[in-house]
Amino acid sequence: MEFTMVRFFGILTLLVPMLIVSAESHQHKIFPYKINQSTLPNGLRIVSIPFDSPGIIAYYTVVRTGSRNEVEPGKSGFAHFFEHMMFRGTEKYPEEKFNNMLKSIGADNNAFTSDDETVYHTVASASALETIMDMESDRFMNLKYSEAAFKTEAGAILGEYNKNSSSPFQTIDEKVRDAAYMEHTYKHSTMGFLKDIEDMPNQYQYSLTFFDRWYRPENCVVVVVGDQKKLVSLATKYYGSWKHGSYALNVPAEPPQNEDKFVQIPWKSRTLPILTVAFHGPAFSDTHTDMAALNLFSQLAFGETSDLYKKLVVQDQMVESLSGQMRQNRDPGLFFIFARIKKAKDIAAVRDAIDKTLEEAKTKPVSQSRLADVRSHLKYSFAMRLDDADHVAGTISQFIAMANDPESVNRYYALYDKITPKDIMNVVKKYFVNTNRTVALTQQEDHQ
Amino acid sequence: MSTRIFLTIIIMTTVTLTAMAEQSTSGKLKFTELRSAGSPLVTFRIIVRAGSINDPKGKEGLNSLTASLIAEGGTKDLTYSEVVDKLYPWAARIDVNPDQEITTFTGEVHRDHLDKFYKLFSDLLLHPRFDQSDFARIKDAHINYLESTLRSTNDEALGKEALNAFIFQNHPYGNPDIGTVQGITSITLDDVKNYYADIYTQSRIWIGIAGGYPVALTATMKKDFGKLPAGEFHEVPLPTPGDIHGMEVMVVEKPSRAYAVSMGYPIPLTRKDKDYYALLVANSYFGEHRTFNGILMNHLRGDRGLNYGDYSYIEKFSGGLGGAPFPEPNTPLRQQFFSIWLRPVQPENTHFAIRDALFELKNLVDKGLSNEDFEATRNFLLNYSKLWVSTLDRRLGYVMDSEFYGSEYYIDRIAAELPKLTVDDVNAAIKKYLHASDIKIAVVVDEGKAQAFYDSLATNAPSLIHYEAQKPANILEQDKIITVFPLDINKEKSVVVKSKDLFEK
Repeated sequence: MEFTMVRFFGILTLLVPMLIVSAESHQHKIFPYKINQSTLPNGLRIVSIPFDSPGIIAYYTVVRTGSRNEVEPGKSGFAHFFEHMMFRGTEKYPEEKFNNMLKSIGADNNAFTSDDETVYHTVASASALETIMDMESDRFMNLKYSEAAFKTEAGAILGEYNKNSSSPFQTIDEKVRDAAYMEHTYKHSTMGFLKDIEDMPNQYQYSLTFFDRWYRPENCVVVVVGDQKKLVSLATKYYGSWKHGSYALNVPAEPPQNEDKFVQIPWKSRTLPILTVAFHGPAFSDTHTDMAALNLFSQLAFGETSDLYKKLVVQDQMVESLSGQMRQNRDPGLFFIFARIKKAKDIAAVRDAIDKTLEEAKTKPVSQSRLADVRSHLKYSFAMRLDDADHVAGTISQFIAMANDPESVNRYYALYDKITPKDIMNVVKKYFVNTNRTVALTQQEDHQ
Repeated sequence: MSTRIFLTIIIMTTVTLTAMAEQSTSGKLKFTELRSAGSPLVTFRIIVRAGSINDPKGKEGLNSLTASLIAEGGTKDLTYSEVVDKLYPWAARIDVNPDQEITTFTGEVHRDHLDKFYKLFSDLLLHPRFDQSDFARIKDAHINYLESTLRSTNDEALGKEALNAFIFQNHPYGNPDIGTVQGITSITLDDVKNYYADIYTQSRIWIGIAGGYPVALTATMKKDFGKLPAGEFHEVPLPTPGDIHGMEVMVVEKPSRAYAVSMGYPIPLTRKDKDYYALLVANSYFGEHRTFNGILMNHLRGDRGLNYGDYSYIEKFSGGLGGAPFPEPNTPLRQQFFSIWLRPVQPENTHFAIRDALFELKNLVDKGLSNEDFEATRNFLLNYSKLWVSTLDRRLGYVMDSEFYGSEYYIDRIAAELPKLTVDDVNAAIKKYLHASDIKIAVVVDEGKAQAFYDSLATNAPSLIHYEAQKPANILEQDKIITVFPLDINKEKSVVVKSKDLFEK
């Protein structure tokens, strides 16, 4: 164990030889950069990360609101819809002026929404910091759009749904969530139920309520990575008048699943059969080891070096692709296993092989050397991802969304070193039981 | 903040970032290096000067299959699984992109593991295992991609690939990089071995290295790769793409809830040409990828909510489907094309959307840019292009592409050419190279509805549009023109095809 820690400290100091301000304070941390945090009186947090990207900054605003917050019936997909509306302008910077200013600074500017967060991101010259902050703070405080603009944007949302509609994976995500969850808002995808998307043009009034609830300083974190100066004083100037909100969210807890579920997904176009097996898992945690243990297990059991992958994909060649993934969510998410099977006659055999892998993992401990390889893979993957300001900001934003604290990244990765083969057997026994399972089979209609 | 000061800052920064590229040769091998001693990562881009254009007739897919079998196979000493096992703890990456003109093997590793990684990476290229079982796995994957993905479950990729096939009919660019179903089916492992022996020679190998590697690595690579046969590089001759007369339409039929559209035509410009940079400004103004700067995006999505995105390009744009905002390196072509990409549109609005895009293109050609638009777009590109090369790996790819085109480093060339341009240069380039007629259009249309859709195009039926939202008078007035904007459909050259019949041979 100790060897692993020392080795990784070595890796990360090499990664950023000039950038670690205080080596002592970072020696057991996976994230190699200093994290500065400040909180304004209104609750807005400012996170700054010095990073050697000459002349370039990444400016992220993490709104800790995603499709998880869509608790009212008929309003699924609204967090994502609202992300689009944030580009429709204010009195000070109407839409065209907003776009022209971004153009004038040569910025790459966009946003995305997931279950738990909405993230607005800009990469541009460091000298444009104040301009970006002026524009971003203005739209977060003073967004203003007409009902006509709102209805027009609903067309773009439907277009976004449409662009993904030829892939079975959008439908698999929708159907499996819908079957697996009964109460929690993870029942719907971030895009939302299609019937709610089609009704969006009629929801203008609700959109104003949505903005009022969630676009509040205590629910947002601004992250700036790169060469920046006077960040806090600028933030005080531009965000200082933003008013604290008061809405209290009550996301319904998901009751334990108590039956094995199966969903058949017929597909009109030609597709290889896709077997999806999903189990309810834990919520993200940087103190409890279940999430980290399941993430290790996803690699051990279904990654490209796993016995199952070698058998199904490389040797027997029944399966074209195989993967396992524990989704990292604020509330308990799903562990997904996907297998894209070459021939329909092998579906049962592949399903049996997955079942057998899960059963064996309950009693057969993984070797220490194999576990060390997976830890090494995850940590090197993390370190190699931090190769520019944008990737650094994107990585840290995920942990802010999950845990409301950028330092969570260090605590989470430290968990990997604590997890033993027995811990992995325990989480497999705890979560991979049939009454906690939803299976979906996607097949071309005339091949069923 | 003054614009002038801002530009100065950015340009100074770029000089610092790009001053390190070095070119050398050894025997017939070519090297491009971007060494940065402080970097913890090492990136390789090994280009083989052969692509799908080198596929023998009847064996379409041979280049791709060979490259994939090298990158996803074993070495003489190690099986594929043993290679993966070794790479895994380092999170090292080996990929291949078999493109039309070139094939690029990329490798990335932390320098902690460089020596062991290099041994594996070079063994894969120099001593490939060519195992029958790996061959079967990769051949299956190629055929499944065509039959069960491209033709059926990715309509946007299908629209783009159909347009490529339509523009480059009877031309070496005309097939998907991955080949055709019958071509791949006919390939044997011996074909792969023979192709490797013919093509993987010093004369076609171009090695790019970037990052924190030791100086001695270059000498090692020169020695190791110098053991390949010298070979002779013969460039595949390219015919001029066929003329386009009027609007030639390919309607591709498959089950679809919304219709993907791609349209375009060849243009005789690449990054080496001075006029390319004038057209770069025009294209950014008209349809910059994944931004709200473009006319197309603002008018089709912003004003009318027709779909998710609308962009245009003056060269092959790789990586767009994955959401990447910037052009991916190492997909250069000697013959380029202009294209417009409309992301899937609701069926009832697709005819209107095609008209709208062509109406806007005609406006661009007729009216050009105002001086204000020109200045704003030029200023944007001078800054924005610096973001395309945020990592050493991307910079290396762009440097090598520039070499391919026989031009100086692309980002520097943009910085040099754009300040010299005038609005008249840009508008002259638009007039010279762009037009809203003589264009090929590929549309993916729902099963059973393709012929009726084509008929509505061919008969110039009015394409009425209904909005949920109230629209300003100027948009409604413009819509009256767009609704009946004439499309000069060439009925002899237009086709309605089923997706399952595309890319067959």
